[in-house]
Amino acid sequence: MFNPITFNEETCTGCNKCVEVCLMEILEANPEKGKTPLVKYPDECAYDGACWMQCPQRGKGAIKITPPLPMRVSILRGEKP
Amino acid sequence: MNSGREVVKIDTDVLVIGGGLAGCMAAIKASEYGVKVTIAEKANTLSSGCAGTGIDHAWAYIPLIHEQMGWTIDDLIEDHTQLIARGFINKDLLRLVAKENYDRMLDLEKFGIKIRYEDSKIPGKFRIVHQFHSLPSSFNFNGRDLKVKLTLEAKKRGVNIVNRVMMVALTVSDGRISGALGIGTNNGKLYAFRSKTIVMSTGRANRMTPNVTGIWGNHRIPVNETGDGRSMAFRAGIPVINMEFLSSGYYSIGNYELNLGSPRNTVQPAAAVTGPDGEVIVPRTRFYDWDNLGKEKADPTITRQKMLSGNRNPRPSYEQLYQKGEGPFYLDLTSGTEEEIKYIEWSIGNEGKGSLFLDYLKNQEGFDFHKDKLEWLPNSREMAGTAASGLLVNNELETEVKGLFGAGDDVGGFPWAGAPGAFVMGWRAGERAAKEARQQKNFLPADNEQVESLKKSCSDISGNRGGIHWREVEMAAQTVVDHYAGDTRAEKTLKRGIERLNDIRKNAAFRAESPHELMRCLEVQSIIDNAEMVLNASLERQESRRAPFGFIRADFPEQDDARWLAFLALKRCEGSIKFSRIPIKQ
Repeated sequence: MFNPITFNEETCTGCNKCVEVCLMEILEANPEKGKTPLVKYPDECAYDGACWMQCPQRGKGAIKITPPLPMRVSILRGEKP
Repeated sequence: MNSGREVVKIDTDVLVIGGGLAGCMAAIKASEYGVKVTIAEKANTLSSGCAGTGIDHAWAYIPLIHEQMGWTIDDLIEDHTQLIARGFINKDLLRLVAKENYDRMLDLEKFGIKIRYEDSKIPGKFRIVHQFHSLPSSFNFNGRDLKVKLTLEAKKRGVNIVNRVMMVALTVSDGRISGALGIGTNNGKLYAFRSKTIVMSTGRANRMTPNVTGIWGNHRIPVNETGDGRSMAFRAGIPVINMEFLSSGYYSIGNYELNLGSPRNTVQPAAAVTGPDGEVIVPRTRFYDWDNLGKEKADPTITRQKMLSGNRNPRPSYEQLYQKGEGPFYLDLTSGTEEEIKYIEWSIGNEGKGSLFLDYLKNQEGFDFHKDKLEWLPNSREMAGTAASGLLVNNELETEVKGLFGAGDDVGGFPWAGAPGAFVMGWRAGERAAKEARQQKNFLPADNEQVESLKKSCSDISGNRGGIHWREVEMAAQTVVDHYAGDTRAEKTLKRGIERLNDIRKNAAFRAESPHELMRCLEVQSIIDNAEMVLNASLERQESRRAPFGFIRADFPEQDDARWLAFLALKRCEGSIKFSRIPIKQ
């Protein structure tokens, strides 16, 4: 149902560190070596961010976590100070 | 099918079940005694447990500061007992943690955690903030990567870490622990550990009730913590206490459990809570005077009284305000200085799911602390740290079964033990378990009957194509807990709840199409065990005990200290549940 984790094929090296640390065990290594991991159980994501925190290519945007709509923040936008 | 499940046999002197803060500390300490130490961890110790993705505070008695202020260890104990636990606490365990957590913080520093700050002008160059006690007592520290550091330290010391194994059964022989059994979560293998001693540190019981957003997993504490330790103890007939305290804490703001300077949290300075027209509902807190802390004298009797009177006159809850038609409410840090906003961002980034949350908030939502406000929404309730439920242990963290120790959130009788409890209890349990294992010459024989029984029950699930998906069973159990063990409970509804839960257990013929799904089924079995304990213990406790336990019996509305200032222990015995009351030493 959800699409919690997306990988950037350009910058993800397929090192699978995210697969190793995933708290909920929702990721799986791609059978093709060096390719982006597979999100096997997307509906079991806990949105704790362990995969993102430990991604060596995080700075290059290799992994992105998108919270589903009901989890998004509700913001009262203010004027520029 | 039975013969198809491979059995992995592992012998270890000390087995630590659950590699969160308490488990890692236990393993690290145990490794000092020349024994073989193994951690069995359901996920990966790099990221598991309540502090898996960070923690930025822990309370302690800090001699460098508190002695100068005239605040003693006894004052901290009194504060915690009166202000937090309202007298309902194992004071001996509290004393242990109060006395030793400062030393554990210094240990964490040795393992690579930053606990001192150049800009601090107080003794030790610490940052100390207000949390539970009448004086600031909580270290702020850079704990985002604490689990990574603890894992490295454990490995450096030769601890064997077996990740991706969910433990489900203890084996006991003549009142002595002989090992434990688990299932590989991604290979489906049966892990049969023989061990001379065990430290049980699996953490809290979550996923007991539905949540507000409807997103599975959107609870405050990591949702793979399903009370497996209590469940294993229950199955083995080992006493568990205070399970009735499934407390109704409404946490967070409907999304992540964030720490956006929520007032009265450990974040100081904190945001204000404001109403729709900017009116202040809860004022901001400012920076503590980090320059002066520890230099001035304080009168603990007066500071404690001040907090106690605040407890007696709480401001209305947000629920109550909503019922009066008020709201929406916002977290508002728009008046924050650059320094304050920088600190808040530091704090969010080091605690809980905050690191990811902060990135999401700023980069996906474009949130600007200087001008934007964040709506404060309630989230799910949970079986919380307030609850004091868990294994019954003595002052040395020993359970009724020889060689089985408890640590951290798996231990009952200590509301808000939290991280300090995990650090200190883990350390002590690890030491005790190692010393005791050293005295044991041989392993007790493996319990083959139990191995075969687990093989069969797992194969029944794995081979059951027509069975029920784990999530369906989980939702059924959650609905029962939510309805029958909700904010107000009573004898007849609790009895009905127990009947309905028994029906769920009877009809829950799980199916699993992979080892991963088998793990989830086993987790739901833990949830059902925990629910059974919650419902039965709720029926047994014939009184109400409000803050911080939130336990209300409509048919026994008063707090009854004469009979019930006592831990309620339960254990399974020949198919039924036996209760006993353990009076609390004052």
